Amino acid sequence: MSERNSVLPSSLASAWEPIADQSRSNRALLLMAPLIVFELLVFVVPFFILLRISFAEESSDLVYAEGTWTLQAYVDVFTSGLLRSIVGYSFMLGIAVTLVTVVIAIFYAYAIWRSDGLIKSLLLFSVVLPLLTTLVIRTYAFQPLLSPTGTVNEILLSLGIINSSIQIVPSTVGVVIGQTYIVLPYAVLAIYSVMATMDWHVVEAARDLGASRPRSVLEVVVPQVMPGIIVASVISFAWSVGAYAAPDLLSNSISFAMQVEDLMLSGLRYPLAAAFSVVMLVLMLVCIGVLFAVLNRFGGDFELA
Amino acid sequence: MSEITLSELEKQYGETTAVEDVSVEINDGELLCLLGPSGSGKSTTLRMIAGLETPTDGEISIGEDDVTDRPAYERNTSTVFQDWALFPHKSVLENVAFGLKMRDVPAEEREERARAMLERVQMGSYDDEDPTNLSGGQKQRVALARSLAVNPDVLLLDEPLSNLDKRLREDMQIELREIHEDLEETFVHVTHDQDEAFTLADRIGIMADGNLVQVGSPNEVYENPKNRFIEGFLGDTNFIDGEVDRVTAETVHVETELGREIVLPTDEEPDIDEGAELTLSLRPEILSIDQPVSAQSDGGQTVLADGSTTNAVIGTVENVLYRGSTVRYSVSSNGTTMFVERTGASTDALTAGDDIRIDWNGADVLAFRADGTRVSL
Amino acid sequence: MTSNLHRETFEDVAFRAGYLALLVFMLLPLLVVIVTSFSGSGRIAFPPDSFSLVWYGEFFESIRWLNAFTNSLIVGFGTALAATVLGVMGAFGQEIEDGSFGKLLAPLVLIPLLIPPVILGITLLMYFNEVGLRGSYASIVLAHTLWATPLVYFVMRSVFSRFDWQQLDAAHDLGAGPIRSFVQVVLPNVKHGIFVGALLAFIISLQEFVMALFLSTPNTETIPVLAWTEIRQALDPMVSVVSTFLILISVGAIVVAVIATNLEWLSKQLS
Repeated sequence: MSERNSVLPSSLASAWEPIADQSRSNRALLLMAPLIVFELLVFVVPFFILLRISFAEESSDLVYAEGTWTLQAYVDVFTSGLLRSIVGYSFMLGIAVTLVTVVIAIFYAYAIWRSDGLIKSLLLFSVVLPLLTTLVIRTYAFQPLLSPTGTVNEILLSLGIINSSIQIVPSTVGVVIGQTYIVLPYAVLAIYSVMATMDWHVVEAARDLGASRPRSVLEVVVPQVMPGIIVASVISFAWSVGAYAAPDLLSNSISFAMQVEDLMLSGLRYPLAAAFSVVMLVLMLVCIGVLFAVLNRFGGDFELA
Repeated sequence: MSEITLSELEKQYGETTAVEDVSVEINDGELLCLLGPSGSGKSTTLRMIAGLETPTDGEISIGEDDVTDRPAYERNTSTVFQDWALFPHKSVLENVAFGLKMRDVPAEEREERARAMLERVQMGSYDDEDPTNLSGGQKQRVALARSLAVNPDVLLLDEPLSNLDKRLREDMQIELREIHEDLEETFVHVTHDQDEAFTLADRIGIMADGNLVQVGSPNEVYENPKNRFIEGFLGDTNFIDGEVDRVTAETVHVETELGREIVLPTDEEPDIDEGAELTLSLRPEILSIDQPVSAQSDGGQTVLADGSTTNAVIGTVENVLYRGSTVRYSVSSNGTTMFVERTGASTDALTAGDDIRIDWNGADVLAFRADGTRVSL
Repeated sequence: MTSNLHRETFEDVAFRAGYLALLVFMLLPLLVVIVTSFSGSGRIAFPPDSFSLVWYGEFFESIRWLNAFTNSLIVGFGTALAATVLGVMGAFGQEIEDGSFGKLLAPLVLIPLLIPPVILGITLLMYFNEVGLRGSYASIVLAHTLWATPLVYFVMRSVFSRFDWQQLDAAHDLGAGPIRSFVQVVLPNVKHGIFVGALLAFIISLQEFVMALFLSTPNTETIPVLAWTEIRQALDPMVSVVSTFLILISVGAIVVAVIATNLEWLSKQLS
């Protein structure tokens, strides 16, 4: 064995030495260690610092006063009417986008699942390509399309469907469209990856037993892809509540993300920004927990009204 | 009434033809087995009856109704799938009650009926189980209960037993037979297993390359196979190639690769020319073996008193294969290998290298032309 | 009978129309971007009033855009390297033995993906201020690695779980040492997965913008960040030119990935 090892470059072999001597579980731990350390240092620790700063006093010359403890930032968050309305708007956006996205994503994933050949590749391509394109591009392209002088309005006007141009952008409807476009690829793939493992015969069995096509999807496909739907909902919801680019470019409203950026970069009010983020994060976790519990219930048999 | 009429049924997928031309009438209350190798179009035919595939051409009617264009959920047929296709996220009881739910049967009634159906397939105590935790045999029973719960006019079974082990499969065959006799409903059962078809069927329809080649009772099909394909498919047999040497009013003489002439008795002059190529089927059950009595008795044929002929060849045992209740010998004669069988109870076992004599009655031999069609003798 | 047929046909038509409309919805914005990059005027309109290549000329003369391009490449390669090393090692370690640490690892690695990038951005900004990494390439690379690692990690988990580990036992049995057997037996089977993982990490970094917006300075700003700044000032076709380059890079990456594996497999890994 040692003779064979010597065939290897000596540097490689010596790097392996300390690992090779370890037991199996220690070896596994050594391999996982860098990742664990990375997650601790770049993810867990930063969040504790965020939490700590949210309890610090503001300072006029520095971004926050070190070593101080106060609940003032939280009091400000809860008493500010502006911040409260921003929270409301962000959550409304999150819920609207999630509903639209999940319904469309189930449909689109089903279409991919049921198609084959070129159509299937094309549909998959249409999901993967936007996913690999920056959110900035994905968002601004809606301006020339949806603005009052944009393509959609021109088409509708020339077809005589509308008399005067409608303002889709900037408006909340425009944000919902833009944000849906941003999260839809992730939602479709999350659902499709579960659906692809499903047995088509199960749907056939439901039709064979008298379920119409929409009903067979509702009764058999939806409960089975529930894990994918849950992932899709969580992603859609979390990212839409925290949406930044779409509200900024496509509406005149202010979302949580825009406000927190303003607090951080323009206002330099770190404790307030941190507290606002903590509050949003907690509220989102609560919502996700509720969402999870509700959707999980639909994993089994359910009655239609 | 739920007799099924298939007329000139055809199904194409792009360039490939899955079912070419299938016409058959299935009687009310009959159990028809569609038997054929994989790719013969039997499952596609079944799926067209179920409404899971739309025929490219042809018509399907069940009872009085033309159902050709009716979707699966509007036909009162019910399918038991090969992989059973139980709904994994629903309990056993919910699975069985599903069809009734789709028919808007009130919750209490459908639960009651589903329970009764589970009792019937001896799965009464599994109502709360998750179907993914069941064994193959149990899944099969649940699938059957689920299909029967809707009281279908026609029950369609798409190789539901093929994923079970041999013992269980044989038990289930008997149970299916009993259920069929109880219900007196029309069953169409697809299988590639000849034994299963012979056990279950009132009639067997044999399919090959998208065509229904022969339909008949098990006995009819076995005794009178229409062509060489069916003869080969229904059981192991020895195909011996030969050439017609001479045709008389009573006999056909065939020069074979066994190096001997085989004589087939005929009732009327058969439709075959001298010099034509023939394939003879010597089934193991018509062959009897003896150790050669003497050196002179080296085969040939004898015309018996009743006009039938016996034929015999001499060969050398090459291999002995014990197959439980029977022993199979491969025997080489004139360079051609044949197999013969004896029940295990037979005395004086033969071993490799023994010379033996194989006898048969010429009237039991089936003959097929080069194009596969049978020569009626 | 005909009514049944009609309903079936109607459902088929509606279904097809539905997903084709969505197909258009998915691809139209990208088409708008590409077409407007050839605009002859300074206004983004779809379809453009006139076509020309002037904005491509502008791009290659703009030092700021070319710098941003270089920055994106530096951050992208850094992220690909870091995420691939961390993800592959982590997934391999977990494959060897899925102990109590292993069970914690998957959710820990996954959670950053589910946190809005704005929150991650400000959290990391505060943190990097504390540890003195603010304004460095490393700060953006680390942030992007936080997002790219889960993808590499889950791609590799699925690759390793499909690998037949008896092959490794067989290699040991035939006398190959640990490294030799890894190189000879495991690597050939998983190298496509590693490649796809690295490619994904690179693309994630190339496209990510919210965290980069918080963490970059004018010296380290990446293409999406610069594009964002420009869009907010004036929407001119230069952004479309840059976006077209980014789309082309992505399409190129997909083509390479498809050659290395196949599209369906890739899209399953992505989720």
